[in-house]
Order: sequence, then C-alpha cells, then structure tokens
Amino acid sequence: MVRIFCEGSDDKTFLRLLLNDLKKSGDIIGFDNFDSVVKVMGGKSNLLNKESYSTIDKQVGKQLTKILFIFDCDFQEDDKVCGGFENSKKAIEDLITELDWKIVVDYYIFNKNLDYFIIDTLDKKDKFLGCEECFELKALNKNRKILTCIYKSLYPKKPFDFSHQNFNELKQKLKNLFKDEK
Amino acid sequence: MNEHFIKNIEIKNFKCFEDFKAEGFGRVNLIGGKNNVGKTAFMEAVCTNIFSVDLKTFVHSLVSISYARDYLKFTNKKLPLKDFLEKSDSFYVKSNKQTLKYKVLEDNGIKEYFFKINNNEIVINVNDYSFELSRNTKVKFINSHGYTNSQLKEVYESVQKKDKEDILYKYLNQFDENILNFKIIGGDKPMFKVDTSNNSSYAHLEEPYRDISEFGDGLKQYVSIICSLYACTNSYLFIDEIDNGIHHSKLDKLWNIILTLAKEQNVQVFATTHSDECIRALVTANTEDVKTYQPKEHILEDDEIKFIELGRTNGKIDSIIFDFKELENEVAQNMEIRGW
Repeated sequence: MVRIFCEGSDDKTFLRLLLNDLKKSGDIIGFDNFDSVVKVMGGKSNLLNKESYSTIDKQVGKQLTKILFIFDCDFQEDDKVCGGFENSKKAIEDLITELDWKIVVDYYIFNKNLDYFIIDTLDKKDKFLGCEECFELKALNKNRKILTCIYKSLYPKKPFDFSHQNFNELKQKLKNLFKDEK
Repeated sequence: MNEHFIKNIEIKNFKCFEDFKAEGFGRVNLIGGKNNVGKTAFMEAVCTNIFSVDLKTFVHSLVSISYARDYLKFTNKKLPLKDFLEKSDSFYVKSNKQTLKYKVLEDNGIKEYFFKINNNEIVINVNDYSFELSRNTKVKFINSHGYTNSQLKEVYESVQKKDKEDILYKYLNQFDENILNFKIIGGDKPMFKVDTSNNSSYAHLEEPYRDISEFGDGLKQYVSIICSLYACTNSYLFIDEIDNGIHHSKLDKLWNIILTLAKEQNVQVFATTHSDECIRALVTANTEDVKTYQPKEHILEDDEIKFIELGRTNGKIDSIIFDFKELENEVAQNMEIRGW
C-alpha cells in the first residue's frame, strides 16, 4: 500500500482531484480510494518533524511499501531553516535519512506554495495577477490563497488544467507511486 | 487488577501462522484484516493459550476450535475427537502467561501425543488415551455462528447470579425499545418479552414472551455479548465477527457497553471485524464527549484499547498494533487500516 503525506486539507483536496484525473486518463489503474492514502500532517513543521511518524513507523515495511511527501517550500524570509526551495529540499532529505525507512520514499516540493503553483497553470493567469496587483492582495496574503479562492468561486465547475506542463513532474511522481498498486 | 491479561503472543505452526509474534495488547482489542489472513485463528491461538490449564482443558480447546470451524459438518454426528485432535500435527503458542506445545509423534507405527503446558510435559499413547475433556468455564468464545441456546443459558446464569438482570434489560431496551426483558423459560428456552401495548411494533401479538428464534441475529449477538461479559469476570472473552447481524447505528452503543463492562468486570476482550463501521463505532464509543457522562470508574485509558491490524509481509502473517489515539487519528483521516 502507498501513502502520501501533505500539509493540510486543501492539499489533500487538490491531490484527490489530481489523482482522480490520472485515474480518468488511465495513468493510474485499479485503485480508486484516494481518500485513504493521502494523510494530512497538520502543517509543514509537523510534516518535517520525525516525531510525527511514530504510527507510520509501525506500518512501514508492512502495510506501507511506498511513500511520497508533498509540501510547499514557502519563503526563505519567513523561515531561515525550512523556508525556500533549497532549505526545504535539505530538510526533507534530512528527514528521510533520519527516518531510515527501507522502502521507496520520494518527495515533491511546490514552488512557493500550492496556490502559487495553481495560479501559474491557469489560462487566465495574467488577469488574476492583475487582480492581485490592483487590490494589493500581496500585502494581505502573499500565499495567493485569495486568488485561488476567487478562481474557485468564479469557476466552481471548471477543474484545474491538469494538462499544463507544470503538473508533469508531480503527475509522474504520482504515477510512479501507484505503479503496481491494486 | 489486570494481571491476568495476555500482553504478548508467539505462535508457531498454528493453522495459517508459521512464525508470528505480537505484543502490546490492551483490555479491549479489535482485530481487523483481509479475508483468510488469520483473524479467527489468531484469537483461537490466544484462547487456547489461556484456556489450557491442564491436559483436559488443553484437549478441549483443540477439539472445540476444530468443532467451531466444522460446526455445520458435524451437527448431527458423534464428534470424532481423535480426528479433531490430529487436525494439527504440531504447534507452539507462548504468551506472557504460559507456554503450550503440542505434537503428534509417530515412530515405528506407534503414535503418541505430546503435550507441554509450561514445564509440564505429557506423552500419551493414542490407544491409551481416554480423550477426556474439561471446560474452562471462565473463558468464553462466541464464534461466527453465535451461541447455541445452552451456551446462552449458561452465560445468562452469570447475569442472574450477579443480580444484573435490570442492567441487561436496560441495554436490550436501548437496542430495541420494544424489548422489555430476556429470560430463560422452562429451563432451556431463551425468550424476549416484547411490548404489546398499542403503540408498539408488537401490538398485534397476544403473548409477550417470544422465542429468541423469532428475532434477528443482531439481538441474539447483543444479548450473548452482554451476558458473556458478566460470565467472564477477571477472565477473557473472544468474539468472532462481533458486528454479525448488528445494524451500524447500534454498534457504538454496543462498544460503549463492552468498554463499560470490560472495565467493571475486569475482562480482556478480543474481537474480530471486517467492517469499517465497526472500527469507527469503537472510536465513537470512546470519544471525549461520550466519556464526559460516563462514571469515572468505567472509563478506559487510551492505552487500554488496541486495534490489531493483521496482514501479510512477504507472504508471512504480520501485525500492526495501534493504540486508541493512533486508531482515532487514522480513522479521522479515513486511512485504510483493515489489512494489507
């Protein structure tokens, strides 16, 4: 069995959408209960903390055979240790070494955060960025959460464009994770 | 108080178990896993280990295990005890309480049974063996077919001896508000008294006492479990497929009763299930909200409730034991914990 560790419930919702899209396109076969494999860790600091995995330790090598960590790199100015891509990369690699699970473990780090990542893939990206500038949203929330909320409110039935090339790396990691999974 | 609890087990060559170890059992232990992974066999091994206090109880446990599984084949036939006993040619079950070993020895046409209970070794020639059995009446095993009427009668006697009939009736009434009480009538007939007043679902009936066979399996399972908890004071209760016949909406109440009585009567409980709803109900029955209106002495500590997940690692049966908080977290996030 596989497991994905993510930061929060928004990440889980997004990942379930993406996994269902991969299922629809035939890239994931024979598995559909995605809710049961994506675990919310309750924030980046918990996700990167070895102590959060005491229950998982019992399952690794038995129930769990493949694991994928997915989280935001955030901003270096907000967190000198784990903020920014390089720091985040080091932190997750240190964690994986510390956990020493003898199974397949991989990670994917969103550039800045999930909302930045999603806005970058929208066909109306320029308009949303214009909106951000016009209303000075960065001063309120630099995570672009407000923009993704606006997008979801404006287009509740329009899924994200998972065919966008920015999704390719994450999609490949998810396909690798579910390969051989039934 | 709970010195009698089984805390760990080692099982070798017992049914589907080749070489298995698990530790960290609690007062109430729910076992989950896929079909044929060995949930029932696990309970049988634990039960045999604590049931067998001497040769006669050891043999009885082996025979009753086989009988319970082959129940339908032998209902109307004399029990071939020798056949039951030789279904396994050797096994070893060790717990923190005691060590059992059994082996059928064959050499030059001479067949012997080798039994070992802790340091006591017994070797008996098959032809000399009387096949006498003795029951350990303090340990109860409700198999997936449920109790027979005589088994139910026996455990109900414990309710009577402890003057707990009113509590039993209260629990049954919570299961079905039309059930007023339960009695063994005429010495061997388990019967429920139903409400025949105008607004009841049984208003059309004249005679309020109805034979247990007129009711669904869920009610029988409910009464069997409650009575057994009173019959197993300071002992052990094993329940195979605990949710058999019980509607999911009644499961958290059942767990609530089990947690309460397991504490009050000091019983160690092992139960199996396939059902996600049953696992969730166990979690619901022990939430902080529920605990606030429970008498303090009936509240279980989180480490008294365990979920034992069985699965196969590289073909061999293996286990993961979750304590209550871990189970609660896995269930809250809808993680799959019913075997691998």
